[in-house]
Amino acid sequence: METQTTKMQRLSELMATSGPELILSLLVLIIGLLLIKWILRGLRNALGKVIQNKTRISVICNSVGVLLFALVIIAAAAEAGLKLDRIVSALTIISLAAVGAIVLFRPLIPTMPFKVGQTVKAGDLLGKIEAITLLNTRFRTFDGKTFFVPNRKILDDIVINYQVTETRRIKLDVSIRSDQDLMLAKQTLETVMIADPRVKAKPGPVVYVLDTSNGRVKLGGRCWVDNAKYWVARCDLIEKARFAIYHAGIVPARPQMDIHHFNDLYRGPVAGNDPENDEGQL
Amino acid sequence: MKITEGLKMIDAGWIRKPAGFRVKYEKLVDGRRVTEHSPPEGSALLDSDVTAWRYAWKLFAACRSEKTDIQENELVNIHVVDDAGEQVKYYATNKYDLFNPK
Repeated sequence: METQTTKMQRLSELMATSGPELILSLLVLIIGLLLIKWILRGLRNALGKVIQNKTRISVICNSVGVLLFALVIIAAAAEAGLKLDRIVSALTIISLAAVGAIVLFRPLIPTMPFKVGQTVKAGDLLGKIEAITLLNTRFRTFDGKTFFVPNRKILDDIVINYQVTETRRIKLDVSIRSDQDLMLAKQTLETVMIADPRVKAKPGPVVYVLDTSNGRVKLGGRCWVDNAKYWVARCDLIEKARFAIYHAGIVPARPQMDIHHFNDLYRGPVAGNDPENDEGQL
Repeated sequence: MKITEGLKMIDAGWIRKPAGFRVKYEKLVDGRRVTEHSPPEGSALLDSDVTAWRYAWKLFAACRSEKTDIQENELVNIHVVDDAGEQVKYYATNKYDLFNPK
């Protein structure tokens, strides 16, 4: 009890003698940290317009962040009435070392090939990244399951990040019967793609003839859309292409298989010659 | 003519690419027929005609009536228009369809 009473007395003395300075220094720290966050956000946006390389932007912002953080600590210490000589020199050394480490070793530090919110396929898992921690990554698949995958496993596996690029190509394959009007089918498919507002004009949609075997002509429509609109645009285009082909009077190919039956080449076992079936002789 | 010039000519003259779609309909306001759009003019368009037609059909399904004349809160002559206000063919029938024509 005595110790606690002594502690409380010391605290009240400390608050009486240098309470306002401590509160002021705390305020400086909080405001400083908020300012750093605001400045870094602005800097990141401004650099994003000038520099294309996101890693370089990140390195610059992190370095500036470390230096600003050191400045805020020094300002807070000065407000608290601490002796600045040693603090300044120590923080200068630490912050310079941190900046050097960021600039030099950043490319060598393994980072996850995605960010929170991106759609990714890692191994057999396809879903959205919900969180990344030091140990694992939280995936949410499109059927609502949540997977906790060890980061080590992800780094060892092939990862497809669907949102690194802004655009994505849609494959719109249609098979028609080989006796149908090929040029009309090509034109119909191209029209469907061009008329869709989501399809990019550059590179423009193209229709290729991919295959002409098995009594069918396989047409391959290719066009580009924004990554975020890929799935819905793809489904819509497939639906519209199906109707457009139908309205153009083109008959789509049906799966087919030719069976050739040759009576002369195959003869079943002749009675009396089958060693396993002696009953034939009787 | 250079290839680029030819491609520009094709882009401008062959198939018009609409910027988006709206659903256009009529309804009764104070006993008078008024034309409205959804989404309303001035707001962002729907970027898919498939979505727009589906939306139009659902509006029709939500407010149709068996009576021959237009009722309060009923939407009639529901169809899809592009950003220029021109009627769009229903991709499923290849016709200028109207839901709930009255």
